[in-house]
Amino acid sequence: MAPQQGKRLKGTQIFRPFIYGTTALPFHPLHNPKPPGVPDDHTHSWTVFVKGIDDVDTTYWLRRVQFKLHESIPNHVRMVEGEKGKAFVLHETGWGEFEIAIKLYYVPESSEKPQTLYHHLRLHPYGRTEEEKEIMRTTNNGQVISWSYEEQLFNEPYESFYEILTSGALPAVPPKGGKGAKEKLVRSAGGVLERSAMIPLVNRPGQMFSRETEQVEIKKLKEAMIKIEEMARKTKDEVEKKEKRLKELKADSAKG
Amino acid sequence: MTSRDVHDVLNIPSDHSGVGRPSKKQKSSAIRPNLKGLAREVQNLSGDNPIAIVPEVSFFKKRRLASRKPATKWELKPFTNSARGDDGALVLRHWRRKTEDGPPADVDSQPGENEAEGSSVTKVEKPEDSAFAKFNVHVQIPQYTDDQYHSNLQSSTWTKEETDYLLELAKDYDLRWAIIWDRYDFQPKGASGDFTDGSNALVPAGEPRTMEDLKARYYEISAKMMAVQTPVQYMNRSEFELFEMVQKFDPEQEKRRKQFALNTMARNKDEAREEESLLLEVKRIVARTERFNEERRELYNRLDYPATETDINSFKSSAGLQNLLQTLMTSDKAKKQRKQAMGPGDVASPSSAVPTSAVSETHANRRESIAASAVSNHHRADSDARTPATPAEPTPTSATAPAANKKKGAPQPERRKLTQQEEQIYGVSYHDRLGSGPTFRYEKINKLYSHKSGQQQLRITNVLSELGIPPRLVMPTAQVTAQFELLWTAVTSLVDLRKVNDRLDGEIKIEEAKKAERDKVRGVVVSPATPATNGTGDKEEGGAETNGEGGKDQQKTDQDKKRPGSSGGSSHKRSASVLSSVSDKSAKRQKK
Repeated sequence: MAPQQGKRLKGTQIFRPFIYGTTALPFHPLHNPKPPGVPDDHTHSWTVFVKGIDDVDTTYWLRRVQFKLHESIPNHVRMVEGEKGKAFVLHETGWGEFEIAIKLYYVPESSEKPQTLYHHLRLHPYGRTEEEKEIMRTTNNGQVISWSYEEQLFNEPYESFYEILTSGALPAVPPKGGKGAKEKLVRSAGGVLERSAMIPLVNRPGQMFSRETEQVEIKKLKEAMIKIEEMARKTKDEVEKKEKRLKELKADSAKG
Repeated sequence: MTSRDVHDVLNIPSDHSGVGRPSKKQKSSAIRPNLKGLAREVQNLSGDNPIAIVPEVSFFKKRRLASRKPATKWELKPFTNSARGDDGALVLRHWRRKTEDGPPADVDSQPGENEAEGSSVTKVEKPEDSAFAKFNVHVQIPQYTDDQYHSNLQSSTWTKEETDYLLELAKDYDLRWAIIWDRYDFQPKGASGDFTDGSNALVPAGEPRTMEDLKARYYEISAKMMAVQTPVQYMNRSEFELFEMVQKFDPEQEKRRKQFALNTMARNKDEAREEESLLLEVKRIVARTERFNEERRELYNRLDYPATETDINSFKSSAGLQNLLQTLMTSDKAKKQRKQAMGPGDVASPSSAVPTSAVSETHANRRESIAASAVSNHHRADSDARTPATPAEPTPTSATAPAANKKKGAPQPERRKLTQQEEQIYGVSYHDRLGSGPTFRYEKINKLYSHKSGQQQLRITNVLSELGIPPRLVMPTAQVTAQFELLWTAVTSLVDLRKVNDRLDGEIKIEEAKKAERDKVRGVVVSPATPATNGTGDKEEGGAETNGEGGKDQQKTDQDKKRPGSSGGSSHKRSASVLSSVSDKSAKRQKK
């Protein structure tokens, strides 16, 4: 554990969006031939990853990631060290779905303990209905994509880590010592600044998490809210009616 | 005419009369040929000084005659002004120089193909637009849809109609606030339509708005709409500056500013003079306090004392006190020695430093040196005097000072204040209560689930999936999770309500069953003809079921009947559990 870096900043929270998940592809003699040395019963090649949104760098806050696979897989605890500008990726082959424990180790400056996420490896198309499954089967070249958007919250970070998290995206306002003073803003293809907590504005192929998606979801939730309110009102009416009826009946029985 | 001439005339002998005159004459003769066209007498008048009147040489425009080109032709051309907004209904004419390119273009198009003809005809027909039309610039008024208004711009003091009206005015008068305020006369629709004249008189037509109110509302809307259109993180600098400016509008301050300006203008001469003198007085006082502070600081500097950052507790015990005395004495001694050794300038007081960042480093260094000297002194004192103070335990001052130095010594720049834009970009937010450490946004939602019992979880997920909400949120951002939490509370209350509903169903059924029993018993006694008065066959069936479940039940109800007064709560509770299967069934029916 790194030495204590000053104090924690009370009441401050900083978040970083990132994506984790799996992509699986069945073996196929043409499109996805089985590499030599893979056991016969393996049916899919799959990839588990943790990466920044819009493929921005995350290594300035995330040092390494441990993927804990199923015990039956040889060497089932894999550690992936961060490499600047690259995602944390693990390629494997297999035949079964299972839960992967993804443990995030933060940079030493953060002095934070590692945290664990759980992700279910999906090899076969999934969905609530058959149609959804079918869509998944036909799109993305048969790849089974199971990605999750998540936001890492750093609550009350230490001062030094706070400095790291709140610098780098914009040029420092008072140019310090000439170094990096005239740097242009570094943006990803989706317009996200490096080392920022931004989310792309619109969806692009392969990048399905954006403000657009967010708005769609909010809208959906709002619509659901309206429906729920409607249902609640109806039920409330019913309850009132029934209470009245019960009262009548009770009064009746008390009489009789 | 020079002074010498005057002297000459008056026969006053000059100092160097003999030399002066001829030399002057020579000089003037040298200048003279330069000036032509001037009478000699006039030139003589100027004497030594160069003449101020320069003859003007005028050239007449001869060249014009030289150019043999025919005079340029002017023609009276019609024009419209698109800024009028009447679609060119008004056509005025003005003189324009006939252009060379104009006619050939027409000539080209006339023999041209048919498709070109159409456009040329319109060109001919359409008079040119006024060159001044481009100066008709409109301000950009924020636009919003109904939906956006409801989600973002709701206000307790402004209706949507009035907001629309305000924006309309702002557009019409190009944000000239004085005019907007002057013309502002909003009539609420309800007041003009629904009320009779009498009540209309009672209800004032819209509350009077000050200019600050109008501005505040307008800026509020523009800020919000700007944020809606481009999230703050994506604004470029100029956009963001505008956004910040618009957001910062403070009507109160504006009011005060205007009031102040008014007051300043309204004061009379005496007041102005008084104010001036007061200002002077204030200046004097400030200067004096500054000087006073300076002196005091100097005095403090002279009163040289070592700075201690440690708390006083360690000195409260007698041993600690002894220790302190020891260190003070040794340091005092050391100081004296040092003073003798070096000049007094180097031993500047450690505590004196002005708390500016520039000095802080040297300040720290100085303190370090003092701390070091204190340590060494202490050791020396120990070895010399063999005081009862334990040598292993260092004095608090010497122990903590280096630590403090380390902290100070590390480049720990003043934490800069993030601008709002930076906060957005870096995802910084501030909360009242936070558990420290890293977490995930989705954890909060997981917690919502885990706080409920298994059955409730099941019910809630059922409701949610009915509504088409996926089991895991697609994008658990702050906004989405907040919205989901709202939904969550609504769903849980709905589920609770349904539970109550089911319970009531059950109770009603029991009551009805009891009634049926009673009626049956009574029917045996009185008349079997009266059918169950309480409604549908479905319910009767339920009652029959309970009856059929066993003789025990029957007995119970019989017992209850014997004591009709006490047939309240206890039996209900029991029966509720008995009828839980029934209630579940009814719940299912309801869902359908």
